[in-house]
Amino acid sequence: MNNRSIKRWVFLSILLGVFLWLISNTQLWEIILSTLFPQETRVLHPRSLPVLVWEHVRLVVISSSITITVGVPLGIWVTRPSGRDFLPIVNDITSFGQTFPPVAVLALTVPMLGFGFLPTTVALFLYGLLPIVRNTIAGLRAVPPDILDAAYGLGMSRLHVLFRIEIPLAARVILAGVRTSVIINIGTAMIGAVIGAGGLGSPIIAGLVQDNIAYIIEGAVPAAMMAIIADQFWANIEETFAYSTISSNT
Amino acid sequence: MIRLQRVTKRYGDTIAVNELSLEVNQGEVCILIGPSGCGKTTTLRMINRLIEVTSGHIFVNGQETSQIKPEKLRQSIGYAIQSVGLFPHLTVAANIAVVPELLHWEKDRITRRIEELLALVNLNPREYAGKYPSQLSGGEAQRIGVARALAANPPILLMDEPFGAVDPLTRQKLQSQFISIQQKLKKTIILVTHDLNEAIRLADRIAIMESGKLVQYDTPQVILSRPANKFVHDFVGTDRALKRLSSISIEGFVKPAPSVMIDASNREIASVIGYRRYAWVVDKNGKLLGWLDRTNLNEATSVRETMVQGDIEEIAIPNNATLHEALARMLGQGFKSIPVVDEKGKFIGEVTLSDVEAATAEMES
Repeated sequence: MNNRSIKRWVFLSILLGVFLWLISNTQLWEIILSTLFPQETRVLHPRSLPVLVWEHVRLVVISSSITITVGVPLGIWVTRPSGRDFLPIVNDITSFGQTFPPVAVLALTVPMLGFGFLPTTVALFLYGLLPIVRNTIAGLRAVPPDILDAAYGLGMSRLHVLFRIEIPLAARVILAGVRTSVIINIGTAMIGAVIGAGGLGSPIIAGLVQDNIAYIIEGAVPAAMMAIIADQFWANIEETFAYSTISSNT
Repeated sequence: MIRLQRVTKRYGDTIAVNELSLEVNQGEVCILIGPSGCGKTTTLRMINRLIEVTSGHIFVNGQETSQIKPEKLRQSIGYAIQSVGLFPHLTVAANIAVVPELLHWEKDRITRRIEELLALVNLNPREYAGKYPSQLSGGEAQRIGVARALAANPPILLMDEPFGAVDPLTRQKLQSQFISIQQKLKKTIILVTHDLNEAIRLADRIAIMESGKLVQYDTPQVILSRPANKFVHDFVGTDRALKRLSSISIEGFVKPAPSVMIDASNREIASVIGYRRYAWVVDKNGKLLGWLDRTNLNEATSVRETMVQGDIEEIAIPNNATLHEALARMLGQGFKSIPVVDEKGKFIGEVTLSDVEAATAEMES
């Protein structure tokens, strides 16, 4: 780990500390929001902010974990000889998953899975799949053919080539896909509130219904901060672990 | 060592390689050459099973390759390609270590081997082991590619235009290095090229291919003097005599020549130079410094002042060069003779124009 990436991780830790301090200080929110919106009798959602953030984080972490564990291997599989025939169909399905509005997914899954956490996770999973699968495929395909030729020519097995050559070389592109997916996920997880999955969507929807801007800000600002922190986190992972032509020159 | 028996490769209706039979003996350099699309690369890649044959048999060390697991087969055959294909995320050392690691060598042994190989291809291990491929020049990358191919000391080496992607000067240097490495290691090598001069210079035997078929398989000398048919004749070209010079090393033509020390007295010079027009000047370690012209000698007071100093790299040729290079150097410099030095720059002797002419005349007869 070089100096620059240590600095980046320190910065991220500070950012995370500020975030945790902010969301645990409910009084501070109350003071600021009351000053900004003196006409409102209530400026904070009845459920406490740390709980809302926790629900949101849980939704995002669980659904994104599933998306990554399914998406990356899926992208790898369709670039292998055994799965190459499925490449077009996987491409189509993942594109469809993203063009299909998450709200519609909710509407369709609720009758089957009921209300709450489960159908929201399914919707988020489908919605986040595309960037990961797409980037995994693109990253693996961008590995220069002469490098693969050399790798096989030297006597590496398929698995060896995949884990020692292809994935390290494609890591940057794959991680960029993961990063996009997670950030989309943080925003999209708001809709979970519609069917009772909680999260930071709750104050926003309540704010919309009751015409209370303070509620909306209470939901939107922490979500935006979460997105920034997640973005930084994945950028750091990329910077620290993934091979890049630029950093190898320094 | 390597035997191809009626090997055919078909892609749908097109035949890439057609009933090709070829035998390469141990320690020989066989060069596959021919126009683009003649099937030379396909042939090469069938030997380590990167491409599977449609029909026919390939034997390596008496064992049929189709009976050996492709990975095992390839680990026992060195492989170097034009684009080199160094792994950009691994250091030079890690690139070279790939095959030894696949073969589960011990760490110490791998480290020693990496140093040995970098020294073999004339790169300083301390400087280069930790570099990344993006930090190498084209010629350096090619040499690392060859070092990687040699890593596990395979008896056989397959090379696909290994000197194709570098400038002419670097290519010449790499070829000289190839020759001296091969003299040390005595590998069985099959090399693909489309450069006839390269083939003549490096090959023990040349296999000329045309649209998937082997048209002639012979030593460079025979190919140049007795082309099997019109295709080979045309392929070899009208400057055959000149090309033949590329297949002859100057070693047999180097003659002792007068040389004087840089601090020699006038009398010593006179006795060395005799009736000749010139003498070569060396330092006390025998290193070539320049030459002395008889016409300037009379008014001279010391060798140091009279000596014509030149860029030794440009004037002298190494003792593993070919007659072709010697002739080119003479024509380029306007000399009738050129000095020959060993790899340390030590003066050995000279090659004269009349010797080159005599060699040409001998080949024609």
